[in-house]
Amino acid sequence: MRFPLGPSQEPTSNVVRPFAFFRAGAQPLEASANRPILVFEDVFRFFRPDVATLRGVNLSVERGEFVFVTGPSGAGKSTLLQLIYRKQKADEGRILFCGRDIARLSDDSIPYLRRNLGIVFQDFKVIPHWTVFENVAVPLEILDMSKRLVRARVSEALERVGLAGRGEDRTAALSGGEQQRVAVARAIVTEPALLLADEPTGNLDPHLAIDILTLFEEIHATGTTVLFATHDHTLLEQRPHRIIYIDDGRVREGRRGLGDLRMDGASAEPAVVELSSSRKMSGRAPERR
Amino acid sequence: MGIQSAVVRARRGMREEAGLHVVALSSLTIAFMCLGTALLAMTNLDALADSWGRSGRMTVFLRDGTVPGDVEQLRMALEGLPEVTSVAALSAEEARTRFLRDTDLGADLSSLPADAFPASLELALAAGTSAARVEAISTRLRRFRAVDDVESYRGWFERLERLLAAGRSLSLGLALLVAGCVVLVIGNTIRLAVAGRRQEIEVMRLCGASHGFVCGPFIVEGAAQGFLSALLAVGLLLGGFIGLRAQFDVALSGMAGLDAVFLSPAVALTFVLGGGLLGAAGSLLSLRRYMAV
Repeated sequence: MRFPLGPSQEPTSNVVRPFAFFRAGAQPLEASANRPILVFEDVFRFFRPDVATLRGVNLSVERGEFVFVTGPSGAGKSTLLQLIYRKQKADEGRILFCGRDIARLSDDSIPYLRRNLGIVFQDFKVIPHWTVFENVAVPLEILDMSKRLVRARVSEALERVGLAGRGEDRTAALSGGEQQRVAVARAIVTEPALLLADEPTGNLDPHLAIDILTLFEEIHATGTTVLFATHDHTLLEQRPHRIIYIDDGRVREGRRGLGDLRMDGASAEPAVVELSSSRKMSGRAPERR
Repeated sequence: MGIQSAVVRARRGMREEAGLHVVALSSLTIAFMCLGTALLAMTNLDALADSWGRSGRMTVFLRDGTVPGDVEQLRMALEGLPEVTSVAALSAEEARTRFLRDTDLGADLSSLPADAFPASLELALAAGTSAARVEAISTRLRRFRAVDDVESYRGWFERLERLLAAGRSLSLGLALLVAGCVVLVIGNTIRLAVAGRRQEIEVMRLCGASHGFVCGPFIVEGAAQGFLSALLAVGLLLGGFIGLRAQFDVALSGMAGLDAVFLSPAVALTFVLGGGLLGAAGSLLSLRRYMAV
């Protein structure tokens, strides 16, 4: 169970989080240590007043879980994640992160929320003309860490993603898989409480996709909670993690992988089959950068 | 560390978009040079006005053929006035010699007759003598038989005052115009920089950067541009001033008997720091308008 520490608090483990929880000086709620890390309570998000992207979503993610978020394109997977890192705001309902309602956060508090999250995107969002080190160091510079600590933490993160010694390489010169590893290193360098991955394998070939998924699982094994959004059926087939399936703005769950979701009532089957079919029918090889 | 980090990131940004910043710096330097030139002209006019105002003198021109007794009587009367600190008699020959020496035109005017310049009494007035008192003394002096005319230089001084007032208004207008130009140029430069670094800004925001952290480098860049261009403008003006000083000095010495002066260190420092502040302000205005990632 990990909590970010306030500026005045001494770290109790080797994980150093010298940044505030949402607001400078604020501490995580003591009671939240025993609660789920993330809770959606009857959350609605409307695309237009009469068109809902998410309809009454209720879900709960425990600390240390690895959860796949899946569903067809446009189903609301990215919206669900964006509500967590507050790129979008819930129109109705509550979203509790570590016991705090992030749907009601003021704009000034959003940066503090994001410092407790690691986010990885399909398009990597790395700065191509910067070095690998510079890209990974961004969250630590934001936290105003000393140069010595930044060097140590970046080296550690690069080692964890298999890019040890590549810090001085220009990011543009790396392959797509390596660029995504840089993005993962940047996401984990602050040891966030929750790691969000929005289609992180979408631009990678199947072999690299499995590599990246394995990397996320290794990070998860160290205790980090991971929400991994993907519509890649092969990834879901291979790993027996909990699945949150979103279709037409509604959520269904399979506790022990895709097979569990298929067996979860008659209504589940067509949707999952449809997901599988659409994947096969598209027949497009994922783009490799 | 916050400012240090902003400076480091601003330096990196300026390096990456060197072309854009060099163009902006050139435009701003020209704008600041216009303002600096106006300030320099004002500084010298002010010095001239100060010199003339402080001198407080009058010249009493005597009629041709005035007998020495009358001149002496007049002199004694003037020395009795509390406003008059000294009286110096100048013969026609002495006046001619002094004119030829001061104006450095002896070769052309040396053939002038000795009586081309009337004999006169040069009066030095006490500091703070009012214009009304000077006028009253002039009126009284004109009643003397030996006096042909009285020059109080009041008209010249008033004309110079009017010229200075116009110059100050012009400088103020120019300063406002330059300030507007600086804000516009820096604002546009920062807008282009923001557009060029949109991806970086997005990444920083997603990593939890506050608004201040994201905007910091842009404000530093704006301030640096303003500061450097103002500094460059002062440097170029100083170079030009030193180069042309000899010619200025001849003209000013002949006209007013004083040397050309450059901007005082305090004015130059204010000018450069003001440039930096204007740059930061231009950047802030631009960020308020365009920073919405």
